[in-house]
Amino acid sequence: MEQGMSKTRAITGNGAMAEAMRQIHPDVVAAFPITPSTQVIEDFAQFVADGQVETELITVESEHSAMSACLGASAAGGRVMTATSSNGLALMWEMLYIAASMRQPILLTLVNRAISAPINIHCDHGDSMGARDAGWIQLYAENNQEAYDNMLMAPVIAEHMNVRLPVMVCLDGFIISHAIETMQIEDDDKVRAFIGEYTPYYSLLDTEKPPTWGALGLNNYYIEYKKAQQVAMENAHTVIQDVSKQFGELFGRQYDLFESYRLEDAERVIVAINSVAGEIKEVIDELRENGEKVGLLKIRVFRPFPYSEIAQALAQAKIITVLDRSASMGAYGPLFTEIRTALYDMPSRPMVYNRTFGLGGRELFLDDIKAIFRESQEYLQAGKIQTVFDYLCVRGG
Amino acid sequence: MSDKYKLKDWDELELGGVIPESGNAKDYETGTWRTWRPVWKEEACVHCLTCWVLCPEDAYNLKDGQTAKGKERKEIDGINYYHCKGCGLCVKECPVNKKGVKQAIDFIREET
Repeated sequence: MEQGMSKTRAITGNGAMAEAMRQIHPDVVAAFPITPSTQVIEDFAQFVADGQVETELITVESEHSAMSACLGASAAGGRVMTATSSNGLALMWEMLYIAASMRQPILLTLVNRAISAPINIHCDHGDSMGARDAGWIQLYAENNQEAYDNMLMAPVIAEHMNVRLPVMVCLDGFIISHAIETMQIEDDDKVRAFIGEYTPYYSLLDTEKPPTWGALGLNNYYIEYKKAQQVAMENAHTVIQDVSKQFGELFGRQYDLFESYRLEDAERVIVAINSVAGEIKEVIDELRENGEKVGLLKIRVFRPFPYSEIAQALAQAKIITVLDRSASMGAYGPLFTEIRTALYDMPSRPMVYNRTFGLGGRELFLDDIKAIFRESQEYLQAGKIQTVFDYLCVRGG
Repeated sequence: MSDKYKLKDWDELELGGVIPESGNAKDYETGTWRTWRPVWKEEACVHCLTCWVLCPEDAYNLKDGQTAKGKERKEIDGINYYHCKGCGLCVKECPVNKKGVKQAIDFIREET
């Protein structure tokens, strides 16, 4: 293999994430297996067993312990990674907040899966959307390549001293995690040069100058720490753009805060997250051949949410359908509330409405997406949104 | 008030609430927590140092002293009320108090 060459490989999304982990070569991985993310750690455990990495792999007894071990290892000065899905992320809940608030740049592969009940192993975004307030940077990916690329960028973003926050890289369960796609796995040395060495920040293992992590902060200090955390998240905005630009220059694949697909002159737009974007693009191409002005805005960075950039990108649209693959019971979908908020300050706002789809892995076929665009056409012609919020592809109407 | 006690702004804080230096428990004055106050009675104290060993706040002061036979030893030198949080452990465990004849450490209600 020639130095600096990338390999074209047919690999599953999970396999690609394990490759990213091998290349990042963390000091510690603590994980507990859960479908559909299991293969990430299985593959990585093989790398450990084969001596391809020197990572300390901690096989813990629960996800709460997994994130706790990650937190301790990170405070001890290590570069730390893990992977989980669904209820596994839910069991990490307490430690997710603590990891972010203690500003530990832990990296997590989240293979999106519905949260019980009923017990369901298939994709929706209820797990990561529920964690959206935990203080983690959230990057989303349409396919294997994007998920892998996001993970290569994740440590550079997380460890930047203006940010220093954990990053969750999200990809769709089974649809991406278990589907084999052809993609580029970059050269190890080139990836490691891009990521760089890890610099610990007040390591617990520094016996010369032992610090304290996780101390008390009551009503005279807590809110100052929260403000600092909020500013770090805002800083991540620019850092993500800078790192994505560097990544593009090195590896040739361009990323921004979101992807605009045939959006410039689009009148009817869908805003969506993750793998469904692939189907939407196909429908857009077909409708465009008939002269229909349709487009897609695909979210990549959900936290921090790029309000002003998105508002600008949607300024030309006349009607927007926001597709949420998760439910906030008793409220609109989490993506919709962000998009509508982003649009509020615009001088002339496009019409905007919300559809929930795909919960627990319910398929959204090409015809369903065509139906979405037909409906938005009807709303546009009528000048009125009949139903602001509804579920798609659900029996019983 | 010294600068040490000035509340910091959000952008002056260390990341994630880390406390970079060690040995700073002495800067945290738990004496404000106290509702009951131990009062050390020098005349009854046998300087066994049980209170000094058990005190969770290290509030018992020590000094160099001598036994009646002139042997060097450490002796109790009063209580640092900036750090005594009034837990009463010393009062309860004092061997002089336990004998029940004399009190080497009294425990009195703080005046409000």
